[in-house]
Amino acid sequence: MAGFKISRRRVLAGSAFLLASTALPSIGWTQAKKGGRLVVAADSEPRNLNPAIVASNGVFFVASKVVEPLAEASFDGEGGLEPRLATSWEGSEDGLTVTFKLREGVTWHDGKPFTSADVAFSALNVWKPLQNLGRVVFKNLEAVETPDEHTAVFKFSKPTPLQLIKNALPALTSVVPKHVYEGKDIAENPANNAPVGTGPFKFAEHKPGEYYRLERNDKYWGESEPQLDEIIYRVLPDRAAAAGALEAEEIQLAAFSAVPLADLERISKVPGIRVITEGYEALTYQLVVEINHRRKELADLKVRQAIAHAIDKDFVVKTIFLGYAKPATGIVPQNDKQFYTPDVATYGFDVAKANALLDEAGYPKKDDGKRFALKLLPAPYFNETKQFGDYLRQALAAVGIDAELVNNDSAAHQKAVYTDHAFDIAIAPPVFRGDPAISTTILVQSGIPDGVPFSNQGGYKNDALDALIAKAAETLDPAARIELYKEFQKKVAADLPLINVAEWGFITVARDTVKNVSNNPRWAVSNWADTYVET
Amino acid sequence: MSLRRLFRSPEAVAGFVILGLLGAMALTAPLLFPGDPLAIAGQPLLRPFQDWALPLGTDRLGRDVLAGLFHGARTSLAVGLAAAAASILVGSVVGTVAGFAGGLVDEVLMRITDAFQTVPGFLLSLALVSVVGPSLSVVVAAIALSAWTGPARIARAEVLSIRERDYVASARVIGMHPIEIAFREVLPNALPPVLALSSVIVAAAILTEAALSFLGLGDPNRVTWGGMIAEGRAVLRSAPFLSVIPGIALVFSVLGVYLAGEGVVESTAAREGQA
Repeated sequence: MAGFKISRRRVLAGSAFLLASTALPSIGWTQAKKGGRLVVAADSEPRNLNPAIVASNGVFFVASKVVEPLAEASFDGEGGLEPRLATSWEGSEDGLTVTFKLREGVTWHDGKPFTSADVAFSALNVWKPLQNLGRVVFKNLEAVETPDEHTAVFKFSKPTPLQLIKNALPALTSVVPKHVYEGKDIAENPANNAPVGTGPFKFAEHKPGEYYRLERNDKYWGESEPQLDEIIYRVLPDRAAAAGALEAEEIQLAAFSAVPLADLERISKVPGIRVITEGYEALTYQLVVEINHRRKELADLKVRQAIAHAIDKDFVVKTIFLGYAKPATGIVPQNDKQFYTPDVATYGFDVAKANALLDEAGYPKKDDGKRFALKLLPAPYFNETKQFGDYLRQALAAVGIDAELVNNDSAAHQKAVYTDHAFDIAIAPPVFRGDPAISTTILVQSGIPDGVPFSNQGGYKNDALDALIAKAAETLDPAARIELYKEFQKKVAADLPLINVAEWGFITVARDTVKNVSNNPRWAVSNWADTYVET
Repeated sequence: MSLRRLFRSPEAVAGFVILGLLGAMALTAPLLFPGDPLAIAGQPLLRPFQDWALPLGTDRLGRDVLAGLFHGARTSLAVGLAAAAASILVGSVVGTVAGFAGGLVDEVLMRITDAFQTVPGFLLSLALVSVVGPSLSVVVAAIALSAWTGPARIARAEVLSIRERDYVASARVIGMHPIEIAFREVLPNALPPVLALSSVIVAAAILTEAALSFLGLGDPNRVTWGGMIAEGRAVLRSAPFLSVIPGIALVFSVLGVYLAGEGVVESTAAREGQA
């Protein structure tokens, strides 16, 4: 420990200074205080922090403050959107072009100006070929014309609904700087781990296993934004640790249910701590039973209906999610305002009916009370998916199906289910991202290559459903498109290629001093430009 | 005689009483709690001593904690005994062959043993279970994989001294096959000190199994105490009994195995001292 001498005097001097620094502001300023440091809990350290390539919430949680999309989701903005790097968007009659007007006077964190060339580069070289979600939505994007520095015109080879593009803007259109990425291997660029963007915060440093630090971008385009000086993401992989750290005021905010649901009731009574359920409306997670239709028994609709009847959704919501979820009715979650329809076949909890359906299907109970055995693979990503696995095993046992649980880590689970198809039923938590065409139709569509996670890898093939999905993908009229997706929901509920059990948003727990929390439907993964800490 | 001596030490008596209770729990589990102990039995998170049908309460899904405890005793004991048996079997065979054959065979076998000993046992088990996938037999194999080296070294040391004894020499003279000599004459006499290790191995195996289950690498279709502790961890602040109860059971069984083993070793040592 050379160079480190701790003397009592130094400690005293240091703590006196700390005391003074907390006392001063309350004497000096009483009006709205700018600045401050926000310390939040992070539960993972993504390998790649480039949101243009990996459009996932784990990446957005850190990177969305640095790299901005063309538009962000909003509670009261026009069409549910608030402009970011684009100020307006307009589609042509034939659905083949979308014209974006871009914000002027925006600079990258390294000082270079932001122009339409950056958008064209991001769209054609990153979103379309490399991004997990962009591959689907931008598959027909042919060219991006840049008539001037602040206009980008997207040209599609097939009619592409503007409604879909608009719904995709918040999650799929993070713009990266052309001058940093051009001419090098995009996937291996060092900027993927230290992103350069136009956002309110600059990426400062990452100490693996300890923290990420973002610092204020003084040249941000937003007026008097950002309010914070600094954001620290403290890496706390142990979920039980986040609650303790909040109480000890080591962190001020824990998003994505970093505080376990079972602890919420207790922590909500701690003075100075708030439990916030808003701010995840556009990030609805769905609890889904994936079915391998290659199994003879499961290819029978009656068996799938029986499984649906065997699941007590209310019990799942009440016991596993402790009420912080909703029973699902179908493949589109209820909190979606555009597409959701409740008018679908539903499967109430009814063990007798489930047993009758299984008998009808020709799988009577044998002498040991069992009909047939299944392999059940719960996704390991969340406590809730694992617990639902335990529950589902019991629920199936009650109707004579002997389910054997197989636990895997994340990598092994993805390989077993989405590449090797070594499952009979699996439990997955896919995300609904505001439009069925972004990440929902691929859950049931056929012809998806092996290895694509959160897609139909159960061998399900329904030509009518495939045709419907293809038609909706090219339907330009928003109302007609919505009707097609309502039809889609009905067909899925009737044929049960998968079983939707519940849908949930996450919970944020924050100290009272953090202001402007959860003020948009993707808050945890938005830019936090107006958030501040009251001191 | 030796039994009386054994029961003279209060520690040994305590050890055997605990083991007896544990064995009784394991044996009566299917009678007292028929059916799947993972079945949902009542209202979730019921505290202990509230409802006499579920005396130790229920976990987050409403599963009976007492039933879990009884069936968990089965798993713990089964894994502990099977892993100890497997590692003593493998260890004593390897040790006997190495000690009796000597030379290059000894060299090779002992270097392999060294190699296994240099890797922390728990890491070895963890690696095997995460590669092959968790099931009861894999867990037993994984624990045995890291525990066979102790018996191997002790068996070899014993064999080295025994093979120089007169009766081994005479067995050679009457023309017994070396393998027969090794396993019929030498091994049985080398076994007692190896068996003395068994209590340590059983105790370690119970703990390793619990640790594997705690990390989610146990067999998910069976109740295990480690798994119960891990389940309870999420609600540690609001329902600590879910982790504490199986934790206490774990402490007692390891203690019981250890005390009983210690008692046996001491009583045999005393007998040898007298002889």
